[in-house]
Order: sequence, then C-alpha cells, then structure tokens
Amino acid sequence: MKTAGLAIPFAAFAISTHAAPPDFNTRIRPILAANCFKCHGPDAKTREAGLRLDTEEGSRQAIKPGDPAASELIARVTHADPGERMPPAKTKITLTSDQIETLRKWIEAGAEYQEHWAFIPPQQFEPPAVRRADWVRNPIDRFILARLESEGLSPSAEADRYTLIRRLSLDLIGLPPTLEETDAFVNDPDPLAYEKVVDRLLKSPRYGERWGRLWLDLARYADTNGYEKDRERSIWPYRDWVVRALNDDMPFDQFSIEQLAGDMRPNATLDQRVATGFHRNTMLNEEGGIDPLEYRFYAMVDRVNTTGSIWFGMSVGCGQCHTHKYDPITQVDYYEMMAYLNNADEPDLAVVDEAIRKRRAEIEARIAKLEAALPGQFPPAKGDGPIEKRRAGNLNRKFNDWTAKAEKSATDWTTIRPVEMKTNLPKLETLEDGSILSTGDITKRDVFEIAFKLDGFKAPITALRLEVLPDERLPEGGPGRCYYEGRKGDFFLSEFEAEVGGEALEFKGASHSYGKISIGNGNANATNVYDGDGSTGWSTSGEQGKAHQFVLNLKKPIEPGSAMKIEMLFERHFAASLGRFRLAAATATGEVKATKLPVEVEAALARNGGARSDADKALLRRHFLSVAPELAQQRKEIDALRKSLPAAPETMVMLERPADNPRPTHRHHRGEYLKTEEEIAPGLIDSLAATTRQTPKNRLEFARWLVSDRNPLVARVTVNRAWQAIFGRGIVSTADDFGTQGDPPSHPRLFDWLAVEFMKRGWSFKELHRLLVTSATYRQSSAVSAELHARDPDNVLLARGPRFRVEAETVRDIALAASGLLSRKMGGPGVYPPQPESVTGLAYGRTKWNVSQGGDRYRRSLYTFVKRTAPFAAYLVFDGPTGENCIPRRDRSDTPLQALTLLNDEMFFEAAREFGRKAAIDRAAPEAAAAGIFRRCLTRPPSGKELKRIVEYHDAQLARLKKGELSAKEINGSDSTDPDQAAWTLVARAILNLDETITKQ
Amino acid sequence: MNVHPLTHRTRRQFFQDCGIGVGKIALASLLAERGLSSAVNAAPTTPFAPKPTHFAPKAQRVIYLSMIGAPSQLELFDNKPKLRELDGKPIPPSVIAGQRYAFIQPDAAVLGPRFRYKKHGQSGQELSEVLPHLGSVADEIAVVRSLHTDQFNHAPAQLFFNTGSPIPGRPAMGAWLSYGIGSEANDLPSFVVLKGGGNVSGGAAMWSSGFLPSSHQGVPFRSQGEPILHVSNPAGFDNRAQRDSLDLIGDLNRANHATIGDPEILTRISAYEMAFRMQSRAPELMDFKQESQATLDMYGAKPGSGTFATNCLLARRLIERGVRFVQVYEPGWDHHSQVERGVKGKAKAIDQASAALINDLKQRGLLDDTLVVWGGEFGRTPMVEASAALGRSLGRDHHPQAFTMWFAGGGIKPGISLGATDDLGFHVVDDQVHVHDVQTTILHLLGLDHERLTFTHQGRPYRLTDIHGQLVEKLLA
Repeated sequence: MKTAGLAIPFAAFAISTHAAPPDFNTRIRPILAANCFKCHGPDAKTREAGLRLDTEEGSRQAIKPGDPAASELIARVTHADPGERMPPAKTKITLTSDQIETLRKWIEAGAEYQEHWAFIPPQQFEPPAVRRADWVRNPIDRFILARLESEGLSPSAEADRYTLIRRLSLDLIGLPPTLEETDAFVNDPDPLAYEKVVDRLLKSPRYGERWGRLWLDLARYADTNGYEKDRERSIWPYRDWVVRALNDDMPFDQFSIEQLAGDMRPNATLDQRVATGFHRNTMLNEEGGIDPLEYRFYAMVDRVNTTGSIWFGMSVGCGQCHTHKYDPITQVDYYEMMAYLNNADEPDLAVVDEAIRKRRAEIEARIAKLEAALPGQFPPAKGDGPIEKRRAGNLNRKFNDWTAKAEKSATDWTTIRPVEMKTNLPKLETLEDGSILSTGDITKRDVFEIAFKLDGFKAPITALRLEVLPDERLPEGGPGRCYYEGRKGDFFLSEFEAEVGGEALEFKGASHSYGKISIGNGNANATNVYDGDGSTGWSTSGEQGKAHQFVLNLKKPIEPGSAMKIEMLFERHFAASLGRFRLAAATATGEVKATKLPVEVEAALARNGGARSDADKALLRRHFLSVAPELAQQRKEIDALRKSLPAAPETMVMLERPADNPRPTHRHHRGEYLKTEEEIAPGLIDSLAATTRQTPKNRLEFARWLVSDRNPLVARVTVNRAWQAIFGRGIVSTADDFGTQGDPPSHPRLFDWLAVEFMKRGWSFKELHRLLVTSATYRQSSAVSAELHARDPDNVLLARGPRFRVEAETVRDIALAASGLLSRKMGGPGVYPPQPESVTGLAYGRTKWNVSQGGDRYRRSLYTFVKRTAPFAAYLVFDGPTGENCIPRRDRSDTPLQALTLLNDEMFFEAAREFGRKAAIDRAAPEAAAAGIFRRCLTRPPSGKELKRIVEYHDAQLARLKKGELSAKEINGSDSTDPDQAAWTLVARAILNLDETITKQ
Repeated sequence: MNVHPLTHRTRRQFFQDCGIGVGKIALASLLAERGLSSAVNAAPTTPFAPKPTHFAPKAQRVIYLSMIGAPSQLELFDNKPKLRELDGKPIPPSVIAGQRYAFIQPDAAVLGPRFRYKKHGQSGQELSEVLPHLGSVADEIAVVRSLHTDQFNHAPAQLFFNTGSPIPGRPAMGAWLSYGIGSEANDLPSFVVLKGGGNVSGGAAMWSSGFLPSSHQGVPFRSQGEPILHVSNPAGFDNRAQRDSLDLIGDLNRANHATIGDPEILTRISAYEMAFRMQSRAPELMDFKQESQATLDMYGAKPGSGTFATNCLLARRLIERGVRFVQVYEPGWDHHSQVERGVKGKAKAIDQASAALINDLKQRGLLDDTLVVWGGEFGRTPMVEASAALGRSLGRDHHPQAFTMWFAGGGIKPGISLGATDDLGFHVVDDQVHVHDVQTTILHLLGLDHERLTFTHQGRPYRLTDIHGQLVEKLLA
C-alpha cells in the first residue's frame, strides 16, 4: 500500500483536468465509501459475498489492476440486468456514468490504494515558493498564496486598522476594542503596532474566557443535569479551570491529560482533580423510576463518542451498535475504548482551596480556645470561698449528677464484625473500626447479606444496633449513597431481616435516633423495617453527614457463639443503599432504645465501676460541657462560629476505581444496554494503533497516547478547530468528521505543516493563535467582488479575509461591552441575565429564572447559568449549544427570530438605554453623539453618508417624541422624560442591530 | 446520500444572490440529496415556500396532540373485562418475567378498569364512558390499540416519540418536516409548539432542531399575551417607529453591503423584513374575536386561558395560516395514584376540544389534508401501583409494552380500529405498531420516505426513524 504523503493533490475540490490517473483518496475512496462499503466494507457482519473493497487485498477479488474489462467490479456496476447490477436496486443508489468512468480509469492505471490521509501522521514539508514573496508574513501565507497563484487569483489588500483591531479583538478575546485601544492602534507609528496588539490580547484574561467557551462546546458543559428534572449541579469550578488553563497557556497535551485522567496523575493536585469534570459533563437522568445503570451506560456512550470527536475528529459512535460502515472502527474497538474510560467512580469533590483551608483553621482555632474556656465560665456554687473553687466544685457536682443519670440508660454495645458479606452489586469492606463501607455501583434494589459469628459474649444477645455513619467519600458525606432523584447522601432501609440457624429472628420493638424520608409523604417509623413491605422503611433524610442509630430488640435472645446472618434490603424508585454502617449487639436485660448520645459517649458511660479510663472521663467531661444547660449562653458564640465555617464549593470529578474492584466493560449487542455480551479489555482502535508497540493499560496511559505523536489525528484535528474559529471554516470543513466520509483538507500541505508546527511549539494554543492572526492571509480585507464570490463563495482559497457573524455569546458581549455595561468579574457560579420568565416557565417544574441584580446581570455570557432543558433564549436563537452533545462546529444561521431578539429583548434594549443615558449626560452635538455610538459598536467611524442617515433618523424620532407620539418615559425606562435621551436610545438600538455590529468583518 | 457541505453552502450563496432567503438552504441540500439537481433551477423564489416531496402527500400539515405523562389506555380505549375479573389478584409471574418497571415490584396485583365502555357510530368504535364527545366523531378517527415503545421513563420516551432517540440532541419530528418540506407561511415559523399547564419531561429537546439548521427549531407560542418571544416592540414604541428603525437598519446594512459585497448581509436584511411581518401577523393570529361564539363554545375555549381547548383552537388558526406542524402538549396524565380520579379529570379537559377540532377542521374542509394525531409516550400497567413511602394507591405504573393512539384526517382511514392486546392488556397480540412505525407513517402521509429524509452529521447519515420503521399500511385511506 502506498502512503498518501506527497500524493494528496492541492486542489482537492477544484480539479479542472483529469489527465492524471484518478487519485485514490480524493476521487476513488469517496465513490466506494458512499456506494459500496456498506456491504463491502469493514463490517464483516454485513459484508456480502465475502468481498471487501476498503482494502487493496480484499478488492483484488473484484478488481484486476490494469484491466477494467476483466474486473468484476466494472462488470457489475455496468450490468444490464437490474438484478445483477451493483449497487442493488433496493439501495436506490445508482452510480453515474462519470463515477463509473473514474473507476475504470483508476483500474486501468493500476488500481492503487492509499491509506486514508487522516490516518497517516503529518509531516512538515518546506513551504512552497511563491511569486509574490513580499506579501508573505509567515509560512502560512506561502501555502495560501501558492494555491492562489496556481488558481490565477491574488490576495486582497490588507484591511484597514479599524477592521484589523476589531477582528483581532473579537477573535482573541471575544470583545470589541475600546475607543482608546482603537485610537492607540490606529495612530501607532511603530512598525510592530499590530504585533503589540496581538501580544496585549493574548495576555488578556479575557482570552481564556473567549477560547474557554469554545472548549466548553466540546465538553458539553452545563449547570444542570439534563433530562426531565434537569436540576442544578455544581461543576462551575471545572469551567473556571478551563479558563485558567487557557489563560496560563497550558500545553494542549497536558490540558487533555488533566481532563481525561488528572485524578490518576501521581499525587494529583486539586486542580488536576477538578479538571476531570470534563467527562462528568454528561447528563444525569433523575426521573423517578429510571434504571440508574442504564443511564450510566448512556453517559459512557457519550464519553466515548465525545472523546472520539475531540481527539480523533471522528465519529466513533457507530461502533456502539455495529462495526463502522465506512471507517475502520470495529464494534470491539469501540468497547475497548469504553473500557479505558469506564473504570472510574463519579464522586463530588469539595474544592477546598488554600483560602478556605486557612479560614477554616482560623475559626477552628477560635472554637478550640472558646471550648477550653468553658469550664472557667461554669456558674459557681453559691456560698463563700474562692470563686474558682466554688466554680470547680459546682461543675464537678453537676457533671457527676449527669453521669450518674446517663449511666443508667447506657447500654454496653459490642461491635460485631462480619465474617462474610455478599451483595447484588456493591462491594462491601470492613474498616478498622468494624464499620462497613460500600463502594462500586448501586441499583434501585440493593440487598446486603452479612454473616457474623457472635463470639465473645458472656450472656445471650437481646438487641442489635445498626449505626449509619458519615464518610467524606460518600455523597454529601453520607451515610447513604443516593446521588440522584432523592437527597444526596440519603439511604432507604426497606427491610432488615436476621436469622440464626436457619430460623428467622423476630423483633419486639424498634427505635431510632432520628427518622425522616425524602420524596413522598410516608413515615420513617422504626417498625417499617420488619413489616414485610418494601415500600416502607427508615431513612435519616435531612441529616446528611451525621451519624444515627437504629435499635432492634429480639423476641428470643441469641445464644453466644451463634452464627447470625442478616439481610438488608434497600428498595426505592431510586438507588439509595447505605454507604457506611456498623452493627453491634448487646446483652442487656430489658428493652433497649436508640439514643441520641454519640456512641463513644454511650460506650464510656457503659464502662462504669472502675473500667472507665482517663480518656473516657475526659470524653464525658467534654460532652457534658457541650450539653450542660448552665453554659447555653456561653456556647452560643461557639455555635455561631461553627455555622460560619466556610463551605467549599463542590464540583463533579472522576476517580479511578481501586485495583481490587474494577468495573467490567462488556460489548453490548446492537448497542443495547440490556444485551451484554463478552467482557472487553481496554485497547486502542486497531487501525489507528499501527505504530504503537505498547498498548496503554489504563485511562491515564490512554490519555497520554491520545496526545502523543502516535495518534495521527490529534494535532490536525486541534489545529483545524482553531483555524475554523478564526477563518470561519476549517481546513477540513467537516471539523467533526476526519473519516473517509469527511471533506478532504482544502490545503493538505499547509494543514500538515501547521499540525507539526503546533506540536513543535509545545502544543501551545497561544502560539498557534498568534501564528494564525499574524499571517498576511488573516490581515486581508474581507470585501469581496461579485467575481471572486462567484469563484469561491465559501472563501476556501482565502483570497480575502474572514467575515462571519460572531457566536451567540459574543453577540451579547458586544452589546454589553459597547454600551459600557459589561462586568469584568471572572469565575464563580452561573449568573442569570434577564430573559422572559416564560423561557424557563416551559421547563419541568416551571423553574424560576431569578434575574441577577447588580453587576451579575452584565457578566460575560460565558458565565450565564446553562440550563439544558431551557437554554438561555438569546443564545439558543443564535445557534448557542444546549450542552447535550459535544459540538465541534456550531451552525451559523440567520433567522427572523434573531432579529426579534436583538430588536426587542429586554437585555439588548437595556444596552441601548445605557447609550441613551450617557448621551443625555454628554449632550454632544448630534453628529458627534451619533458617531460615538457608531464607533462603540462598530469600532470604525461612520462615513459621511452613514452619519447623515443616522442623524436624520434621530431627528425624525426626536420630533415624534417631542410631539408625544412616542413615550420618552417608557423608552427611557426610568423617571426621565427627556426626549433626547429616548431618541439616542432608539439610535443605539438600531446600531446594535446592524449586521456589521454582530459580524467579524 | 447527503449533499457535501461545500456544495451545500455554495447553493445557499446562489440563492442569496438571487435574493432568496434562509429557508432555501435545506431545500437545496434536500434536492441534491434526492438527486433532483435539475429542480434547483425551479426552486421557489420566496422564503419558506413549500418544497417538493418524495411523492404526492396525503396531508399538508399536522396537529399533534401530545398527551404528556402517558394516559391510561385501560381507562380510555382498551376495554379489558378480564382485568375486572382478576382485580386484586397477583398478575401471573409468567406474564411479567424479565420486564422492568419504574416504580412497582413484580408481584403487584391486577387493577380492573375503572370505567365502562360504549360503542359509537357506524364503525362501532369502543370508547370509555369518559370520552363522550370523542364518541361523536368515532367514525372519523382511527384507533390503534397496539402501540409499543422501547422506553419506560417519561423524558426518554417522549424524546423517542419526537426525535427517534431517547437521548436529547436529535431533531424533532416537526423540525424534520420543516427541513423536508418547508412551510406554507412566510410570516410564521413552520414548526410551532403549544403547551398546557404542567410539565413536559423532555424539555426544549422536544422541539429542538438537533443537528439540522437551527431555522427548523420549533418555536414555542404562548396562548396568551405575546405569542412569540420578543414579537412585541419595547414599551413606548409604535409601528411607525419600528418601521423607521428597520429602514435605518436596512439602509446602513445596504451601505455596508455596497462596500463589502458579502451576500450574507442581504440575508440578514430579509430576515429583518420577515421579523417585521411576524410582528404584524402575531396580533392578528391571537385575535380570537374573529371566532364566532359558536366556535368558542364548540371547543370550550376561553381566549387567554391557555387551556387545551384554547390551544386546539389556536392550533387550527396556526395551520390555517400555513404553519406546517403544530404540537400541542397537554401534560398531567401521569397517574401513578388514583388513576380513576386522574383520568376522569384529564378526559374532561381534552374530550370536547379534541372532538371539536375534528369537527371544525372538517367543516372548514381542512380535515382532508390535515393529519391529527393523539397519544402519549407509553401506556400504563394492568397492575396496580401502590406505595406507602410515596403515598400512592390505586394507580398504574408506566407500561411500554402496549398502549393506544388515535389518528384522523389527511390520508387516514376513518372509523377503523387497528391492533389488539392480550386479555390482560399487557402485550400486543395483533398488528403491533412501534414508535418508529408511527414516525414512518406520519412522514409518509406528508409525502416523505423516511429512509430518504436524511441528514449527515459527524460523518453519519441520520434519520428520524434511525434504522427502523415500517409503514402502517392498514391505517391508510
């Protein structure tokens, strides 16, 4: 097989003569892929007659090189009998005579195959020589100009400085330049004036915000879970990480590895863990009654597909159900890739940064100090003598009284340790303190079977105690593992059964320290757990992060040394089994009740009669001080301090599972969740791994491989996205498809040169962006003549500069920045700019959109709260993403609804009013005021004709306002009845609506 | 096969040069897809004009009454005396082996139908006593009792019906139709969404254009106040001020076009003109005073109330004005508890207006080429749902295995019953109809072959029906 390399022709689409034999990659493969591969391609299952035309070897069955007449392929595509002709009639596909002729010529010339261009690692060739070398500013221009010259075209003149600074600012920071920035550049005599602007913009913190938004399109970032309930989630620390990483110019390879496997880095930092939120941006279905593992599977499918789109630029999604029909990706490849990503747990991470840590330590130190001072504040006993002595005496007496009383109801519990544990799915392990921790996946119906040997008891056992315990590894600190639909960290114990010697134990009375269930109006009575009804049970909803206990009295005592088995059933319409718990037994006589006392305190109380240690005594004393009514007043400050401990924001992360509890990955027949087939080990897509000797073993190694030079696609795909963002169209126009069905690159040599250059320059985005925007190609005017437009309507050849409408968020950011409303605050939870109530009113639960006040109303659009089922209307209408899928390429539509939004949406009108308000303060002459508004929106000054037209409009509206035909007060939206202010508001509204305002020109 | 993105945009430019707006993009690609490149020259010259179909359509437009939450077929359409007999007894384990449920456990007892049934019209359609008005148009509708779906939760099942996939992100049926055959209106969107009170689980993904051009997105209309978001001018304006503003915007855009030459600028000018037409059309659309009292009474509509009845009437007004696909969402059918009370209430809310819509379309001569579809996202269990924790009793859980829909108008054989379930109403036994079959049939009635209506996205041609779908021939007139 011949490699493509040099063989890719420059003019992939504009070939005018076909004297040379047809090129396989650009002319033959597209015909075969579109018409033949479905039945004669990579998928063995759908392959007909054992013939495959996607490999040279396979094709020889039907192709005789050099001899079209003897080739079955030609015979069949030209067969007179429709029953024999290929493709078969039922496909409704017929080859055109042109296509058949092309195939014939190719066979005549030897029928050579080439590997698909995208699967061959890029090589950097010398940029071509050009006639107009003086036009060239960097190597990009040589490639572009050589092509233009070969097409008989010339580049356009350089755009004027107003256009350039606006274009640069919109591209690099997503905001228009200020008047001051513009004037400085326009009047800068320095030959490096342009480069200075580029430097300034690349250093601006706004850079990360602009490019971060595009990355978030790929990451399908949103602030809600999606699906029916679409509740809020906290993952904005991930969004802020992206902005920071881009501002720091983190190299793309590192940027990728942190997001895919930051948790697996040795001694992963907080930032590295936050970055793994990338693959937590999948949706979470919280609808009542769903099968959580089914939706986890769908999330995995999304993760595999998204990974494929971003790092291969290819849709691997077909592999979910079957081997790809066109590209060499088998169904096994697909699940091998899933296996890399599928071995992680999905916890929430408290983002405890240094500031929070410090603040907490300060508060805790103050609490400790105040606690230490409590004994000194105990009220002294009445009487004579030194006050401190009386105080100590009183404290001791009260403490002894309390102890004596508490001892009476304290039960001597003995923790029992399991000898065997079994469940339907979660993994149980015994911790040092005898408690049991559940990890792994959970279901809507979990059953824990735990066996004990009741040794070490001196009397028959009369009661059992279940403690439910907090643990920071559990959602909201536990004790349960509920993570959707119900309250996070909740559990629901439906039934508790126990047996000894095959005989079920009967209970007489049960109690708990606290009980409340979430969702529904059922009770949490202790007896629910042995009433035989799985729909009733016990839960400690609302007390997440706290320990509670549950006590059962046995009708018939158990003899010491018996083997006891218990079974716990957790059954609800959502998954809610316990995360950490501990069992204990007691031999007490009489009924035992659950206590609100901490178990350590009860244990210390139970150790009376000399068995109590000094530590016990200190513990009891501390406990007494924390409850003594005499100190209620003094403890208030402590309580207030505890409440003021700063909560850390949470974010969703990945955490690789421990080696002893991996999650198996299976192939799924036709991609269906319920149809699991054989277990699959992690592995690379075979056809892309030709040069890889050592297969990555886990997610981290896989991530490293993805951004290594072993992956032929990654540098090209990444460079292409940057090119697309800046020039409006990728070098491969199908940024989402580098496969055989995708568009071939318009400038293959340039493409490879850039891809290699990107890697050479340390995968630096800023260097890549600098390279693109400092080219002469980029600096051209975007004006287009009718002839040039007819010749190259999509500007593929780049004989002119890029011109296209900016992205949804930038549309709003321009209005905010131009009017001066924009808040430059960075980061933090999503904010709620104004939009009609009815937008979220359509969503489930008629979610309120509580419009942010103050500066948050005018934050950059990147920070707008992203609600998946009711996306912010003004962005959606301008083709903004919904966060449901990975979006490598946004649509760019132009609709009447966009016009209505810009004209009438409160938010945009507010920007117009701000212009009006300022104009009313400035009181400039009409021409100057009009020019000022114009320049703030469009950067350039208006032409004389434009200015005249604007002023004419202004005067006409002003006249109507003065006559009261229009309401100045309503237009101003304030107490001001100033008609001039209203007239300028109307002018600003019109200018904010200009095509040029929302276009990078 | 889909058109190459490059040629796709080339054609868009071509149309724009000819002064043709955005609506033509899809047409161009569609024509190319069908290999009808010669038709490009014969392309209509106004935006949003109807587009050629694959074959002669039976219906020109659709009103889809989406019963959100899944109505109980056992209380409305599928009479099962056997259930009454078995009421309170556990369902045989063999019947439910291997089935998954949202809320109930496998040992639930059977719940008998809560209402009596009656035969109606010459066709003898059997309907529940809570649907008397629908009974009066029984000879106009085709009742299909053999629906089944793959999904047993609301959001995925609703999305599955609307987009062919349980996961958000694919184009909705209305968007496919808009993309496939365009609109007859030049002052209203081609795909309009109306919603009654309550929740639609699938959210905005239900009217998304997915990967299709976003101009095909469904536009939610409100049945009160401003029907389309931002269709009204800001306070203090009048029409003349708006016209003056658009003239200024237009003039300045034209001036820029004279310098820059980019035809996209002309596209924006025409989008603004259409926006202005929408602004004038909207108040006329919402002017229910044009309707006679008799019409209002027939529906039971109270203008401005946002009820199902008002939405049905508004749907009629929309299709009269050329809208291609109106989807009326009526939530509130999720009767996990007290199914009797629940169904009775909802039936009362929809019965009269559903029948009125059919009568009204008929009397206006619109029923012949307007397809009316009525149905939920799945059915409900023959078994009872009860849960102490949730405080539920005498309800029914989600049942994807069997449920009922009805169809009327454009190309549908009137007065027929299709399909049957077993004695327990558990499984379909005759003429099984899958969700993808419904989608296939709707597209077919509008003149589109579901296998040829494709769009290539991320290297793969997509269809509304994925890789499935059989035409339900027995439904066709």
